[in-house]
Amino acid sequence: MATTVAAPPAAGGVTRSRPEWLERAVGQGLALLLAVVIALALGSVIIILYGENPIDVYETILRSATTAKDGPAWVLAAATPLIFSALAVSICFKGGLFNIGVEGQYLVAMTTAAWAALHLGGVLPGPLLMWGVLLFGMLGGMAYAAVPGALKVKTGAHEVVTTIMMNGIAVSLVAYALNHPLRYTNAPVGQNVDLRTNIFPANAKVPDLGHVFGFGPAPRFSWLFPIAVVAALIVWFIVKRMRLGYEARAVGASAGSAQAGGISIGSVQMKLFLISGALAGLVGMQQILVNNASTSTGGYLPQNYEATLGFTGIAVAFLGQNNPIGIVFAAIFWAALSRGESILPIETNMPREFVIILQGILIMSVVITYTLAKRRLDRRQTGRVIAEEEAIEMQQPEPPPTIQEVTA
Amino acid sequence: MSKLGFAVSIAFTYFTIIYLTGIGGLFSERSGIVNIGLEGLMIIGTVTGSFGAYYFGAKLGWGVPAGPIMGLLLGMACGAAFASIHALATVTFKIDHIVSGVVINLVAVGLARFLSTIFFGQATQSDPGQPHLHVISIPLLSKIPQFGVAFQGLSPFVLFPFLIVFPVWWVLNRTRWGLRLRSAGENPEATRAVGVAVAPLRWEAVLLSGAFAGLSGAFLSVEIVNNWREGQTLGLGFIALAALILSNWNPVRLMGAAFLFGFAQAIPLALRDWPIIRSIPEQFVNMTPYVVTIVVLAGFIGKVRPPAAAGKAYEGTTT
Repeated sequence: MATTVAAPPAAGGVTRSRPEWLERAVGQGLALLLAVVIALALGSVIIILYGENPIDVYETILRSATTAKDGPAWVLAAATPLIFSALAVSICFKGGLFNIGVEGQYLVAMTTAAWAALHLGGVLPGPLLMWGVLLFGMLGGMAYAAVPGALKVKTGAHEVVTTIMMNGIAVSLVAYALNHPLRYTNAPVGQNVDLRTNIFPANAKVPDLGHVFGFGPAPRFSWLFPIAVVAALIVWFIVKRMRLGYEARAVGASAGSAQAGGISIGSVQMKLFLISGALAGLVGMQQILVNNASTSTGGYLPQNYEATLGFTGIAVAFLGQNNPIGIVFAAIFWAALSRGESILPIETNMPREFVIILQGILIMSVVITYTLAKRRLDRRQTGRVIAEEEAIEMQQPEPPPTIQEVTA
Repeated sequence: MSKLGFAVSIAFTYFTIIYLTGIGGLFSERSGIVNIGLEGLMIIGTVTGSFGAYYFGAKLGWGVPAGPIMGLLLGMACGAAFASIHALATVTFKIDHIVSGVVINLVAVGLARFLSTIFFGQATQSDPGQPHLHVISIPLLSKIPQFGVAFQGLSPFVLFPFLIVFPVWWVLNRTRWGLRLRSAGENPEATRAVGVAVAPLRWEAVLLSGAFAGLSGAFLSVEIVNNWREGQTLGLGFIALAALILSNWNPVRLMGAAFLFGFAQAIPLALRDWPIIRSIPEQFVNMTPYVVTIVVLAGFIGKVRPPAAAGKAYEGTTT
């Protein structure tokens, strides 16, 4: 945990003038840069083997994300679910929990949100319906995340395995909901419609935002993106400024010490799972309330919904170094690469799947360089603390109290 | 009765897939490396296996059985090659096992499409009707009245799990390599202390895991479906993981767990007409393997104990 050990060596007689947090930030920045360079280099090898020019290919991806007419709007819209998903993963990480059940949690949440959109239309007027739908999505995600949370706390069943199993169950639950209670009833007569729910009322959809930023008719870019950014700020606040965040970091760093310090591990873990589930509950809203909506209708949940956003969130969380603000940028970067998928086969001979492979190489090299950099920094810090101790022992017989704090 | 026989015959197919993938997970986890990338390794096995069967069997004209066998071997080799990424990440660079496994699963989907465009000129499937091994009927058992259909028209490869179950048990429990492998999974520090290098053992185990999962995927595309289709693994890699847990990481008990879960897969397909099955929506039957695993993991029925050091890298040092 970089954040918990970041107590700067305050005492005099420090051997180096650079503050320790700065060294850490520079080290992690360099690691990220190195990872990107490695990924681009390995990607170039594939491109050259394919008989294309790497610079052309990368330039095409970059251009399609930034300068094309609706490029930025598309990228921000695609980043929105990834922000929620990565935040859900990262808040559990803070407490040393690995929630790979975001996948299942958002599938269930899409179903509960769809139910709310179809049944609460008469109760909640105007824009209240949208908020009600978002709330039901969050509640669905929380309820589904509560199961592995409770199993972890009460029985010790490892959350990685239980959430994998819960993901499998979620696929069947959504299939059941679409086949039975939520199956469409209003299909046009004589037409074969893919399995889906009925179309939501128009006031369930999240309003467009594209026109505000001059993105033109970009219907996928909505108020959900600012909501995702606010969610990132809230997560930042919880982790850095609230008691729960402190306790979570303590449990994540060392469960034993945290318990000895009077923290109830079970209660912290359960709260983290619930927050994670609420965030996961918003992952699917982009597709059911924005992408599937039109100007006059409110979207729907189809059988061929977009899956694996929960797993992609894990990759984005790592790319953003589990930092809520870093996650926002990581999600935008990830989405910008994904934008290249539709352009590559048109403007070059590369198949669109090259982007997924590039993303995979990137995340693998990021994880490896981060881990190696962190290990190196930890080692250097340990070495420095020992050197300080020795220097002080040589200078004066009694060490000042601040050093005791650092070394304790 | 013939319906039940039909169900058992389908169950045999799923059993083979789940068992082979489960054995892959078993080698990896007994050595201390958690492998949730089994699904992704299977996906690579399906696309490369299908290509092998098509290329050697149809294009080069090697025919049957050489073509399908080459397909199975190619799927196996490519599964192992892809697993080397997991080994490099977790054993050599000691990064989190779960992260690496998730990346394996994510990349496999894209890589399979990428390979498919190169192999077959289309991204999501190959042409149907590729060469496969001649089907067999088990002597005597297939003569049972009514129920005999369970043992007719099977791919000869479904016998493979029965051929390897004892050798795998023996290698793990009666050879020096197996003993060292298990000790690396239980207490790597002690293994190192007695002078055995842990990293090579774990590398071998992860490569074996990829080979078995790749073989299992190749069996699915070459022998059962007879072509490659995107998403044909249907989460069976995760069901194999569930079976592995239910078996308590034991190759013999894995037979039972894999057949149980294989049969659960077959129920909605074959026994739809039975009154008791008809009253239960098929989606609830489909989720049984996962529910059973959660119940067992939570200690409500029996108790399972994973290898002590499995996934240790993520236990202590997340973030």
